[in-house]
Amino acid sequence: MKNRMKKLTAMMLAGVMAFSLTACGSGGDESKSNSSAKSATGDKKTIKITWWGGQSRHDYTQKLLDAYTEEHPDIKFEGIPAGWDGYFDKLSTQAASGSMPDIVQMDYLFISTYAKNGAVADLQSYIDDGTIDTSNIDDTILNTGSVDGKMAGMVLTTSSVATGYNPEVFEKAGLEMPDGTWTWSDFIDANKKISEMTGQESVLVSSGATGDVTQLRYWMRQHDEKLFNDKGNGLGYKDDKVVADFFKMWKEMVDNDIYSDPDEEAQIMTKGLESSPVVTGDAGTVFDWNNYSSRVSSVNDKIRITTPPLSDDTKETGLWNKPGMFFSVADSSKVKDECAEFIDWFVNSKEANDIIMAERGTPVSSKVRDEMVESGKLGDQQVEMFEYADKVTELAEDTPKPDPEGIAEVQESLKNIGNSVFYGQSSPDDAAKEFREEATSILERNK
Amino acid sequence: MGKKKSVYKTKDNVTGYLLLAPWIFGFLIMWLIPMIISIFYSFTDFNMLNKPSFIGMENYMRIFTKDKSFWQALKVTFTYVLFLVPLRLIFALFVAMLLNKNHKGLGLYRTLYYIPSLIGGSIAVSIVWKQIFGNKGAVMSLLAAFGINQKMSFLGNPKTALGVIILLGIWQFGSSMLIFLSGLKQIPGSLYESAVVDGANSRQTFFKITLPMLTPTIFFNLIQQSINGFRVFTESYVITDGGPLDSTLSYVLYLYRRAFNFFDMGYSCALAWILVIIIAVFTIILFKTQNKWVYYETGGDSK
Repeated sequence: MKNRMKKLTAMMLAGVMAFSLTACGSGGDESKSNSSAKSATGDKKTIKITWWGGQSRHDYTQKLLDAYTEEHPDIKFEGIPAGWDGYFDKLSTQAASGSMPDIVQMDYLFISTYAKNGAVADLQSYIDDGTIDTSNIDDTILNTGSVDGKMAGMVLTTSSVATGYNPEVFEKAGLEMPDGTWTWSDFIDANKKISEMTGQESVLVSSGATGDVTQLRYWMRQHDEKLFNDKGNGLGYKDDKVVADFFKMWKEMVDNDIYSDPDEEAQIMTKGLESSPVVTGDAGTVFDWNNYSSRVSSVNDKIRITTPPLSDDTKETGLWNKPGMFFSVADSSKVKDECAEFIDWFVNSKEANDIIMAERGTPVSSKVRDEMVESGKLGDQQVEMFEYADKVTELAEDTPKPDPEGIAEVQESLKNIGNSVFYGQSSPDDAAKEFREEATSILERNK
Repeated sequence: MGKKKSVYKTKDNVTGYLLLAPWIFGFLIMWLIPMIISIFYSFTDFNMLNKPSFIGMENYMRIFTKDKSFWQALKVTFTYVLFLVPLRLIFALFVAMLLNKNHKGLGLYRTLYYIPSLIGGSIAVSIVWKQIFGNKGAVMSLLAAFGINQKMSFLGNPKTALGVIILLGIWQFGSSMLIFLSGLKQIPGSLYESAVVDGANSRQTFFKITLPMLTPTIFFNLIQQSINGFRVFTESYVITDGGPLDSTLSYVLYLYRRAFNFFDMGYSCALAWILVIIIAVFTIILFKTQNKWVYYETGGDSK
């Protein structure tokens, strides 16, 4: 009898344990399904939204969401802020498990990957019926979100490559301020002087000269070449010499201690934006985007931007207007209509843009831009950014197609090949050949 | 065992299984089912977003014939395991022997030496190591203070970066140490006493008594640490991100990249299964050798 009691207790305990474990395991899901069940009944709808960025972006975006909820009490948000690192790793996992947030801040790099696999919704119908007002948006820019005839993302901002510089450093080195007419050799000469003065490398590239395809793409465009072909299934240039020249130029900068080798660069990158050598006055120039000065203005408001160097041979600039970032809506979302309304508010309303203050880049709506300039609330850096955007629109040629599927792998390959050049393990010519081989096989596999 | 007990046995089993239920549930949902699914994925072109379609052996063919990074990752991982495991075990045994005496505050020391194992695999420690061995880090500054100026840091140099990762691995010797410590405690003191009476010195007692008596523990540690070694990820992910020049690209890091950065989940599953097979073969080989060198006091052949 006693024994049986014991056993019974044990069994019950085991049962309780098993039950509580399952309860724990599915706890997260339960709350999710609760909220979506609620939204189906119509009293309150929850939009999950995720974005990457720094702390200041997280802070004001949360404010933005609160402001929208105040105006639309039936809409609630669940904001999921993240850093750029790991953002797309997480997103792909969420997409695979069908738990992608409703609104996703999307980059030009990956929009075609998500669009071609049907993970994001087509927003065209919302543009057609006027839910998202696009009347003040340039068509070329708007269409950067279109993949295979589907509007895979609503473009929010534009940006273009720019060179940030520290005027105080230039002054100390006895140099004239850059005015956008410099060529690569002028650029190198100026930075040589600065490096000699500071004893430190004066050229920085926020994502590394070969860390992604941005610098290479700029270089290719200066030489009237395309990095990828229009179909996105192969490289767009014939002669490897252009790429070899690119490697050669940067390798020389490494050898002359103007530009950091990958080892030093890794160390600089861990310091983060706020204490990068350009901001602290230890380096002269940095390749970044045209919102650079406005992004660092809270730490150093002296930083300015100018156009990157012109080609020595062609005297051309390779500038283009890049869609800065997009909002895409998950195909699995149950609140697409509400998402579209929010996106319209984000893009077009004065109220939202007064909070954003162009931190995400130059707003796509010309009306918003004008309103912001007229309001006089903009700082020098933002005015500079807007002027820069206008200048680029004048100078720029067509925007490249969205990056092909497989871009992440191409960039990894470029990074490794670039590093092997900078470490002196392969010659620029061999490296260019190797890049062609690797990139071609990656792109063919992903087409 | 007699038949009389079998009735009770089945009854006891129910309780046993019920008590095990949470674990079995977790094992099935979190391990077995995903593993089986991943076999299926490894034969498809699944990219996490599409509907997977069957492509036969293509992933496996590509791994063995076209993928340079696969061989590089394999080389890095094997180098890592071959250096890490012996060094870690030697170090763990050394510390365990030091701690196997009756000092004051021994418990405190044991705890202290175990701490690296608890925190060593964490992101925070990885970042600390990055700062210590990286460019302009503590080690470089120290060397510079002694007049040894190096252009490249240990982490930036493709020849030494893996060494730093291995060093971090050795530093996490705590769990092996604890197992060695319990192994040492089980060696009967009478053996040492008679050895001392016979006039053996400490070197002789170590090689003739301690080491042979410890072989089962060493064997267990060897297997466990090898399997762990093959799965190295955090260190190379956080400290070097596989670089410089893929010199620290561990197998699991490569697999992770394939899956989550390159949208190549099917391929990644194939990679994972190759690793499973490699670990299995490695373990079987180790087991085959155990008759030659592992000494079980109770008679190892009783199975």
